[in-house]
Parts: sequence; C-alpha cells; structure tokens
Amino acid sequence: MDGKRDLPPLHHHDVIIIGGGLTGLRAALQLSRAGRSCAVLSKVHPLRSHSVAAQGGMNAALGNVPGTEGSADSWERHAYDTIKGSDYLADQNAVVRMCKEAPATVIELEHMGTVWSRLDDGKIAQRPFGGAGFPRTCYAADRTGHNILHTLYEQVTAEKVPVYEEFFVTSLVTADGRCTGCTALEIMTGTIHGFCAKAILIATGGFGRIFSRSTNAIINTGDGQALALQAGASLKDMEFVQFHPTSLLGSNILISEAARGEGGVLVNKNGERFMRRYAPRSADLAPRDVVARAIEQEIAAGRGFDGGYVHLDLRHIGEERIRERLPGIRLIAMDFAGVDPVTEPIPVQPAQHYSMGGIDVGIEGQSGIQGLYAAGECACISVHGANRLGGNSLLETVVFGRLAAASIILNLPTEPVPADGPVLSAVTEMEAKVNGILERRGGEQLFTVIDSLKETMDTKFGIFREGDSMDKGLAEISALRERAGNISISDKDRAVNQALVRFLELEYMFLVAEAAALGAIQRKESRGSHTRTDYPARDDDHFMYHTITRNLDGKIAVSSSPVTLGMFTPEERVY
Amino acid sequence: MRLKVFRFRPGMEKPRYDLFAIEPAPGKTVLTALFEAQSRYDDSLAFRYSCRGAVCGTCAMLINRVPRLACRTRLATLLAGDSDSPLPHYVLPHLTEPWDKQEEVLVEPLPNLPVIKDLIVNMDEFFSRYREVNPVFSPGEPDPERERLMTPEAVRELERYTTCILCAACFAACPVNGKNPRYTGPAALAKLYRFHIDPRERQGPARLRTADTPDGWWACEFHTNCRRVCPKEVPPDKAIGHARQELKEMKKKETGPGGDGA
Repeated sequence: MDGKRDLPPLHHHDVIIIGGGLTGLRAALQLSRAGRSCAVLSKVHPLRSHSVAAQGGMNAALGNVPGTEGSADSWERHAYDTIKGSDYLADQNAVVRMCKEAPATVIELEHMGTVWSRLDDGKIAQRPFGGAGFPRTCYAADRTGHNILHTLYEQVTAEKVPVYEEFFVTSLVTADGRCTGCTALEIMTGTIHGFCAKAILIATGGFGRIFSRSTNAIINTGDGQALALQAGASLKDMEFVQFHPTSLLGSNILISEAARGEGGVLVNKNGERFMRRYAPRSADLAPRDVVARAIEQEIAAGRGFDGGYVHLDLRHIGEERIRERLPGIRLIAMDFAGVDPVTEPIPVQPAQHYSMGGIDVGIEGQSGIQGLYAAGECACISVHGANRLGGNSLLETVVFGRLAAASIILNLPTEPVPADGPVLSAVTEMEAKVNGILERRGGEQLFTVIDSLKETMDTKFGIFREGDSMDKGLAEISALRERAGNISISDKDRAVNQALVRFLELEYMFLVAEAAALGAIQRKESRGSHTRTDYPARDDDHFMYHTITRNLDGKIAVSSSPVTLGMFTPEERVY
Repeated sequence: MRLKVFRFRPGMEKPRYDLFAIEPAPGKTVLTALFEAQSRYDDSLAFRYSCRGAVCGTCAMLINRVPRLACRTRLATLLAGDSDSPLPHYVLPHLTEPWDKQEEVLVEPLPNLPVIKDLIVNMDEFFSRYREVNPVFSPGEPDPERERLMTPEAVRELERYTTCILCAACFAACPVNGKNPRYTGPAALAKLYRFHIDPRERQGPARLRTADTPDGWWACEFHTNCRRVCPKEVPPDKAIGHARQELKEMKKKETGPGGDGA
C-alpha cells in the first residue's frame, strides 16, 4: 500500500444515524425538520431493513374497539399489560412514557400517509394480541412494518436526508470521552470512509442471526450492540432473547401472532388444542414466552409432529377473513411451505425472534458515552424487560426514534464539528485491518465458523437453558472465536466483497453472543424468556436487576443496575 | 441439479457463466442455492439479500429469463418445467447463453439496470424514477387531531398498490423500460396512482399531471409484463389505464364545446 496515497473520503454531519429502519428514519425526520444536518448510514437500502418484515401491528390505547362489556382502554392498562408481560423487569417510568405516547404515534403515522386497516366507522382498526387485556393492536393487514417503513422512507426522501446506502460501519470513534464519528466500509467499492459528527444514533436492530433458527432477516447480526460495546458503552439484559412460538417449519419465517389474534389455534399431533393446559385463561393468546415454552414441551413429550413442530390451524377463520386480515401470512405459507392455510394447518415451530436486551440507554436514548445514543431494538431502556409483548416493538421504534432525536437536538454542542484527526487515524487503522484480513491464506473456513457459532447458540442458549450446558456453550464460543482469527477469505477484491462483510459481522456476532451467554449464566432464575431448568422460579430477592455487560480491557465484565419500579407491584405472572 | 450463474466484475470484457452443483431438496429456493454456492464453492459470488421471506424486495433477479425474487422461487418448480408463460415482447438481445432446462436453473442480473458485479445491479435509475413522482403523502390541509377517516373499501383499493416492495422486477420486465431509459416505469407509476386514489389527499388532477408526459403514463404499451412478474400482485397496468382515462376525460372537459381551457 505504498506509493501515492489519497486522503480517505471524509464526511461531516451534525448527526450520524446508523441504521435505516423505522427508528433510524423516524429520528432522521425529526432531525431534518429541526434543521440539523444528519445522514443515515445503512448496510442495506433502507427499505430492505428488517422493520419491513413486521407483520402484526402497533399497540396504542386508541380505544377504537371496545373491550369486553364495553370497557374503555387506557394508557394505564397498556402499561400494566406491558409490565406484567415483561415479568416486572421493564423500567416502569419508560413503559409509562411509551404507552402515553402511543396513541399520538399511531395518529402521527396516519397523518404522514400510512394506510392502516379500518373499522366500518372509518377509524383505525385494532385487534387482540398476546398478553393484552384489550383489542389494542393497530394494524395494516399483516404488513404493518412494510406500510410504516415505506411511509417514513417517503417522508425522509422528501426531506432529502442524505442516505449512505450499503455502508457497513466498522468502528465508532471516541475522543476525550465523547463519540465524534465512525468509520464505514462502502460495500460496493471497498473504500473505507470517515464520518465526523457531534452525535451518533445507533438504530441497527436486533441480533437474531447469532442463532440459526431465527425469524430475523439475514442482516440482523448485532452490529450496533457490538460497536457500542467496543467503544466502551454498556449492554443491558442481553440474556433476554425472545423466541416466537410460530415460525414456519424449515425456513423459520415469521407467522404473525395476528394469526392467533384473529382466532388461529395451536394443535398437537393428537389433534389436541393444548394451550389451555399451560395458560388456562389466555390459551393461544398468552404471551410469547409462555406459548413458545408450551410448544417445546409438547414436542419434548412426543406430542409434536416428526421433525419437531405443531400445527397452527386457521381453517375455521374462513377464507374471506384470512384473505382480508392475513393475506401476507397466506402467501408466506403457500410460497415457503406449499400450504394454503384456508384448507390446511400451517406447520410451525418456535424460533428466535427479538432481542429484548441491547445498548444500555436512558429514556432519551443516551448511552454512557457522551454523544452516543441508541434507540429501537438495538437499545435497551428497558421497555420490554424479560419478555416483549407483540405490537410493542413497532411502537418502541417510532416513539424512541423521535424521543432520541429530540434529545440529541437539545444536547447538540454548539461548537463546530470535532477535529478530523481521530476519525482519520481510525480510517487508517481500519484500512490496515481490512488489508490484513484479505492477505490471510489457508486457515479456517468463514462459513463453517459462522454455522458453528449459530449451532452453539441454538443448542446451549435456546428456550430452555441449564448451567452446565451454558458453561460448555460459553467455552465453545471462546474456542470458535480463537479459530475465527485464522479465517481466510478467497475473494481478495475490495469492491463488493460480501465474504469480507460476513467476516466483519462475525466479529460482532462473537461479542454479542458472549455478552448474552455471560448474562444468561449469571442469572440463576427463570424470568420471562429466560428459562432455566436448574432454577425454574423467578427470584425477585436476588435477581430483580438489569444485567450490565461491558468491555473491560478486552474482557466482558458483568455487573448490574436497579430496575425502576413504579405504579405496579411485582406479582406472580398468571395468564 | 446445477445453478448456472452469470458472473461479471468490472474489468472483464464480457460476462462468463459458472456452474454450481446443488443438491435438490423439497422447497429449496434459488436464494438458498446461491448461499450454498457462495459458502461451499466461491465466496466471491455476489448477490443481494435481506429478509429471505419475500417482503423486503432485495433479491429480485432474472431466473430462467423471468425477473423474480430469488427467495420465493423454488428450484423444483423450475426444473419440473417452469410454469410461467413467456413474457410478451420480452427480448433480451444481450443474453444468449443457453441452459439445460431439466438440469439447470439459470440466474442472471435484472435487465434494464447496469450490472455492478455478478447478480448485483445499480438501482439508482429505478429509485430516481421513484423520486420523480414525488411519492409523499400531501393532504393539502392541516392535520386533524385524530385520524382521518377511511372506509375499509378505500383501504382495500389502496392496498392493491401499497403492497409494492420496490423490488424492480417490473422495471426489468418492461419492454418499454428496455428501449426508453426515461420511462417512469411501472412501479413508480403505480406508486403515483396510489397517492392519487388516496381519499385523504385532495389534490384532484395535480397528482396525475406529475406524469402526464410522453415518458410517463403515455409511454406504457400495455404488455402487462409488470403485473405478470410482480411478486405482490400489484397491477401497474391497471393504474396506468385508469390514469390515462381520467386524464383524457379531464382534457375533454377542458377543451370540449364551450370550454375555455381553464
């Protein structure tokens, strides 16, 4: 790399948003409307973000549909359901804020043009969802994420916010304890760019793809969480990983909870509707952790079908209603399992679905590092605690995308954009690193190591967990990480080198996997999605805390922080 | 079976085709096969991917000479005798490579867009056309406190167009896009029409006039390839037909007997 050296491309914006999904685009809109120079960096075109796949809906106590006996919905009831659903690990002040903001958030999106499904009286339609005491979930058929993402993209396009598409962020830059920029690989050319900013918002979504059985898009590799950890920020509650009860057998594509909200039922191989045995009152509409465990137990007891699955039966809902309310689900079942739910039950099994844990931030999105913010699934405030309710994730993205942007605007330093020096040297460092990776020959196979890591996470950190097995899992992660140091990539080009991107993602996946594993091992109780066969009960005396993981001299250290309680006192969680 | 894949990178004089042996399995998709080829045989094979569930619109490519999503196209269906009828007036003079239809699935990049590498095309032109139709909701009045009301029927009509995932399969399948790079194209016109028929907008004819140009509504030749290849069953040709009809009627009124043209 001697000879003539051009200066690397360097960009300056007040605020850099990493991630172009719902959170990132909502934040960009807020910043742009406030006249701030901001830019979105995304490793895919924003419309390809995983937000687009969200099916079921967005919770808000609009009260458009009356509850049983004509009772009225309220933000308090929404908050209660969310906190109970979280197994009392959510921070109640954050939940209250989110639930109070919810109705205005749904209306705001409607005003931007989102096409919501409607009731006969013309108001936004709402339907029942798991763990909710009311038909509270606003929806756009079963394409809610798609409709909202396209709306926000339209708005951001109209604002002419610069979007650096297919830029993979390779490091955050900090100087004097403040986050001042980042480096990113432009995938199409292989060039490393430097970005200087007064604030950075991470909005990169979840880390589902450290598991092989996941409903997530293939791109969800925990990049943002790992970047934050490397930069010295903390992660929170990483052991709480949601397994969705109903993913399509084989491909693990999501079959929305809306399918059960509209009346679908789970059936084992004996034709038995088994959910009443696990959740006498809520049955098929119990929260996801409860239903996922029930399915796993049915399969373990030999009452599942060969190949480890049960049936989701929608036939009694009728063709007309399926076509109207669940058209996307029907297409997915037909395209990917060759099953038409109008005439046949859908084969389903649980799969990783959502990351409750993430970058440790406050309600306004601020991390422990000045100038570094996070919101959406990659962040953990926490509004979901140990288990997220369906319909609360889309809500979180838009509410906290807006709140984080508002807080960034308020706290943006007035002095000029920081000096270029630290970002330039980070670019040089990253150049050397990438060249080093591409120079390696022989050694380990990239894709073998990726598959092994996912296998470890599936088998040792799945729905049911146990101490000895998790210790083995952690050792496997460390051993794989050693091996990853010898991975070589055959493609030596810098431009469009997807193997290089996969390798850099793998480095992130190891960090996230280790944090999740360490959190799971130290939490010797069962709470929400974290179920330990060796500690089957919730233990409020010892574990009513958030797990904090951070990087201390290259090792991940575990500590804790208190849960913010409030209007609802922890009680036993019965459905 | 074998995957026969178009390979190209800048600097190559012309593309070449590589064959990858893939074990057939029920339900295996072209996208899965591409991942297999990439991980087992050649990690330099380039293609875009994201959701793998036919909702994000990333992986549209030319499969057996029909633009479609790799993630929802099954190998077995193609090998059993591709059920798709050929697309009308769809000529691809630059693609002449033959393939064995019983044993091979042919994968090439989307036509009508420049190739960057292998199966990855530059989508800039496609999204330029999208931006040109000004795809942003404009109700033309202050927002009310609550939601604007809409009937379920109006939503149903809108949904035929809002389901578009902007994958560009239609853009690549359209013979007009093939010969006129300035043509707005089916996806962008369908998007424009979606805003035009949104009952919450009160723009009247203004929306339709955005594309009242020789390269807009009037360039379409109604080959209907767009609707045939759309993975979401969006009918851009219908939107274009309706739009033209409305414009014609509008012009008749404006220039009709006694009309003053205003």
